[in-house]
Amino acid sequence: MDLAHQRAIAVIAHIDHGKSTLSDRLLQLTGTVSERDMREQYLDSMDLERERGITIKAAAVRMEYKAADGEVYEINLIDTPGHVDFGYEVSRSLAACDGVLLLVDAAQGIEAQTLTNLYLAVDAGLEVIPVLNKIDLPAAQPEKYAEEIAQLIGCDPNEIHRISAKTGEGVAALLEDIVNRIPTPKGDPEAPLRALVFDSTYDAYRGVIAYIRVIDGSLRKGDPILLMATEVEVDADEIGVMAPMAKPTQVLETGEVGYLIAGIKDVSEAKVGDTVTHRGKQQAPEPLPGYREPKPMVFAGIYPIDGDDFPELRDALDKLELNDAALVFEPESSTALGFGFRCGFLGLLHMEIVRERLEREFNLTLIATAPSVGYEIELEGGSKRVVRNPTDMPDPSNIVEVQEPYVSVMVVTPSEFTGTVMQLCQERRGELKEMHYLSPERVEIRYHMPLGEIIFDFFDQLKSGTKGYASLDYEPVGLKPSQLVKVDVLLNGQPVDAFSTIVHRDKAYGYGKNMTERLRKLIPRQMFDVPIQAAIGSRVIARETVKAKRKDVIAKCYGGDVTRKRKLLEKQKEGKKRMKQIGAVEVPQTAFIEALRVDADSAGSKT
Amino acid sequence: MTAKVAGAVLRSPCDGQWAAEPGLGVYIHIPFCRHRCHYCDFNTYEGLDGLHDSYVDALIRTIEAARCERPAGSVFIGGGTPTLLSPVQLGRIIDAVATSVGIDEGAEVTVEANPETVHAAYFEALAEAGVNRVSIGIQSLAPHVLDGLGRTHSVHRALEAITQAQAVGAFEVNADLIYGSPWERPQDWQRTLEGILTLGVDHISAYALTIEEATPLATLVRTGRVPDVDPDIQVDRHAVAEQLLGAAGYLRYEVSNWCRPGRASTHNLCYWSAGDYLGFGAGAHGHLGGRRYWNLRLPRDFIAAAEAGDVEAGHESVDDRQAEALMLGLRLSSGIRMADFEDRFGSLEERRPAIEALLAEGSLTQADAWLRISPTRTMVANDVIARLI
Repeated sequence: MDLAHQRAIAVIAHIDHGKSTLSDRLLQLTGTVSERDMREQYLDSMDLERERGITIKAAAVRMEYKAADGEVYEINLIDTPGHVDFGYEVSRSLAACDGVLLLVDAAQGIEAQTLTNLYLAVDAGLEVIPVLNKIDLPAAQPEKYAEEIAQLIGCDPNEIHRISAKTGEGVAALLEDIVNRIPTPKGDPEAPLRALVFDSTYDAYRGVIAYIRVIDGSLRKGDPILLMATEVEVDADEIGVMAPMAKPTQVLETGEVGYLIAGIKDVSEAKVGDTVTHRGKQQAPEPLPGYREPKPMVFAGIYPIDGDDFPELRDALDKLELNDAALVFEPESSTALGFGFRCGFLGLLHMEIVRERLEREFNLTLIATAPSVGYEIELEGGSKRVVRNPTDMPDPSNIVEVQEPYVSVMVVTPSEFTGTVMQLCQERRGELKEMHYLSPERVEIRYHMPLGEIIFDFFDQLKSGTKGYASLDYEPVGLKPSQLVKVDVLLNGQPVDAFSTIVHRDKAYGYGKNMTERLRKLIPRQMFDVPIQAAIGSRVIARETVKAKRKDVIAKCYGGDVTRKRKLLEKQKEGKKRMKQIGAVEVPQTAFIEALRVDADSAGSKT
Repeated sequence: MTAKVAGAVLRSPCDGQWAAEPGLGVYIHIPFCRHRCHYCDFNTYEGLDGLHDSYVDALIRTIEAARCERPAGSVFIGGGTPTLLSPVQLGRIIDAVATSVGIDEGAEVTVEANPETVHAAYFEALAEAGVNRVSIGIQSLAPHVLDGLGRTHSVHRALEAITQAQAVGAFEVNADLIYGSPWERPQDWQRTLEGILTLGVDHISAYALTIEEATPLATLVRTGRVPDVDPDIQVDRHAVAEQLLGAAGYLRYEVSNWCRPGRASTHNLCYWSAGDYLGFGAGAHGHLGGRRYWNLRLPRDFIAAAEAGDVEAGHESVDDRQAEALMLGLRLSSGIRMADFEDRFGSLEERRPAIEALLAEGSLTQADAWLRISPTRTMVANDVIARLI
C-alpha cells in the first residue's frame, strides 16, 4: 500500500491500564478478527503474560480500516513490552512507529513506566495521541487526569480521548484520529533496503521469526539478505504480515510492518534493533541508528534444588536462549548448592520471568542466590576486571577502586507518600535529582541510586510503603566509585560461597547480622558449638553460635515401638548421608535454600 | 516388706543389665481409658465400657490358641487402662497365660494402674490374681502440670494409690513420671521427685514429654496455644532426676528408668535385650526370632477376628536384626556384652570402624567386654546409634 495510507502506531500504557483490551477492540472494530474468533486479549500469547497481565514479547498486527473519508488505511499496531527491564526493546518498537497512543487509566493516572516511555516517544519525535481509558469505571476521574496529561505533553485537556476499551465507547473516534493525526512513513522507497528488527521470537518449527518494519526500500520473498549487526547472511525464505495470523506475502514495501523467516537458528542472530538489508551491491551503506547489544545488568546463580536436575536445567537454559537474546549464562558450582549456572538478566523482572519459565515450562524446582550486579574493579597495577559473582571478588589489598552501576530511578507516587519514598531511596544511598508535581496530588521523584540497592526488595518495599500506589522505573546511568566490600559468611570457620555478597561498607554489618541470625535459626544443632560469622576479609563483623545439641534420644522405646523407632533412626542415618558437609558441620541443603528463599534483604534495612 | 496375701509370689531379682538370654515376655494390651490424656498416642479408646467382657473373652481365646515352647519370664498387662477391668477379669487373663503359655516361677507379672481406678481392696485382689508388680501412672505431683497433661486425678489420689499398693505388701511398685512438659517449672519437677522418693517406690520410669503427632497436645502446640517442649530444659530435668534419684540409691539402668538394686523390670529388659515376646490384644506387638507382628488395632475388629481365629494385622521380618539389637541394647546403662551379642546377632566386624571412631571421640565406652554409650552421651544416644547402624 502507498505511503499515504499507512500508519504505524504503538500503545504506551502501564500494566493493567487496558492496552490489551484496546488492542482487542481495534482488531474487532476494523474487522481484522471476527466476533467469533475474538479471544480476550488477542495479542498476549503466552500463559505467563496472561497471568501477570503484562506483555513480554512484542507482536505486530496489521489492520485495514475504512475511514470516514472512504479510503482504506493500513494501520499497523506494534505492541510494546510494558516493563522496566525492557526499555531498550520499547525504544526499538517506538523506532518502528510513526506515532503512539498514550493510554492512561482514568481512575489511576499516569505511572512511572508510562512516563518513561512517553519521554522516549517525545524524544523520538513521535506524534502522541493521549487517551484516557476505563471511563466507565465508577472511580474514573477523567477531568483530573486529563489535566495531568495536558500538563505533561502540552495539549488542551479537551483534545484528550475519553474511551472505554471494554465497552468500545470512543474507540471509533480514536481510529479516525489515528488516521488523521499519525504521520505517514518517512522512508525512501528508492533507497537500498533497510528494515528494522523490533522483535524476534523462536518457533520450534520455523526457527526465528523476526518482526520488522521496512524503513527504506522494499523486501521481496527470496531476497538474499544481511543482518548488519550480527553479520548473518541468509535468504528471506518467507515474508508476510500478521493479520493477526501470519499471512505470507511476496513483498514488504516501504513503511510496511511484517515478519521474516529466513532459517535463522536463534534470536541472538536476529537481535532487536538490528537492520535487515540486501546482500551485495544493494547493501545499505549504513545501518539504522540505535542498535545496542543486550546488556545483562543483574546476575544470580540459579541451581536445581535436586542436584540430579542439573542436565535438565542446562537443556532448559539452552532452549530459552533460543528465544531470549538478553539471557546469558555459564556453569558455576557452589559448595552449598552444588552445580548450577550464573545467569545474567536485563533486570529483576527479566530474572523473575526466566526463573518462572524454567520452573513452569521445564518443570524444574530451582533456587537462586541473592542477585548481584556487575562491579568494575581496578586492581593494583592498573588492570581492570568486572566481577559479577561475589566469590570472584579479589582480595581487598589488591583493589584500588570499585565502581558500581548506578541507575536513574523514577517513582511516581501520590504526594502524601513523598516522605516515605524519599526515606526509602535515601536509605539505599539514593541521591535526589528531581522532583516534579504532575498535579497537586501526584509527584514524580527522580533519584540516582546504585542498581545493587534496588535489586533486592526495593520494589516490594516501595509498594508496601505507598499502599501499592507508587510505580517505579529505572534506567542505567553508568558507573560510580563506591565504598564496597565483600562480606563472607563462615560456618565453623569455613566460608559458604552462596552467602558471600558485595555491599556498601555501611551496610556490611546489617547484612552480616541478618545472615548470621537467619542461619543460626536454620542450621541444625550439631554435637558441638558451631560459630557462624560474617567477615570482611579476616575481620569478623557479626557472630552467632548454634549451640551444641544436648538432646537427641527417644524417651520411650518398648515392644510396640521398636519398628517405628528403628525407622526413625534409619531416617536419621539417611538424613546424615544427604547432608552437605561444610568442614565438620553437617547441614541439610534445605537450610541453605531456606536462607536464600526468605526475601534476601541483604542490606538489613528492614528485618 | 512381707507378703500379706497368700498366693502372691515375689519375682526373682533383676539387675537391669543387658541379658544374653532374656526370658520370654508376654505383653497384653487393654485398649480402654475413661479419659484420654492430651499427650497420648497409644492405641486406646474412650467409651467402650460395653466391650470389656467380650474383649476379655476374645483376649483369652487368642491366648489359649497360642503355642510356645517355653514359659514366660514376664507378663505385662498395659494399656490403655488395664485397671478399668476388674481384678477378676485380669486374673482370668493371667490364668490363661499360665495355662497355655506357662509362667516361670519367680516371673514378673505387672499391671499398669491408673490412680483413679484403684483402691486398697482392688490391689489386694490383684495380688490374689498373681500380680507382683504394679506400675502406677503418676506423671507429676504438680496439679497444674497434671491439668495440662489432661490427667484427671488429683495429686492426693496419686500418692494414696502408691501407699495402697505398697500396703498390700505383695508388689514391687513403679511410678511412671513425665518431665519437661510446657507447664512444668523447675520446682515442680524437683518436688515431684522428692514426693515420690518419700514413698520409697521400687522403680521409677521418668519420660521426657514427647509431642506425638495427631494428639490434642500436638494441635495445641501447632496452633501456638501451648508452647513447644524445650529439649534443653528436658536435658536439665533429666540431670536433676539423675542427681536426686542417684543420691537416694536408685540406679539408672536405661535412658528413662531407675530402680533400687535388683528391682529392674524383667519385662522391659526383655525388650532392650532384643528378646522374644508375645503380644496379645488389640494393636499389641510381638517379636519372635526376628519376626515382628502386630494385631488389629480397633477393639471391635480384634474381637471379631478373635472369633475367627486370626487377629494379626501385619508382620515384617527384621532384615538387620543386629542394628535393631544395637539400638535397643545401647539404651541400657550396661550396654551390650560383646561376646554374647555377637553370638546372638553375628560379628560386629563390619561396624568396627564406626565403633572405633565413636570410642575415639568418647561417645562409646568399652570395659570388660561391655560396650556402652558413655553416660555423658546418654541424652544424644540417637546421634550415636544413627552413626553406628
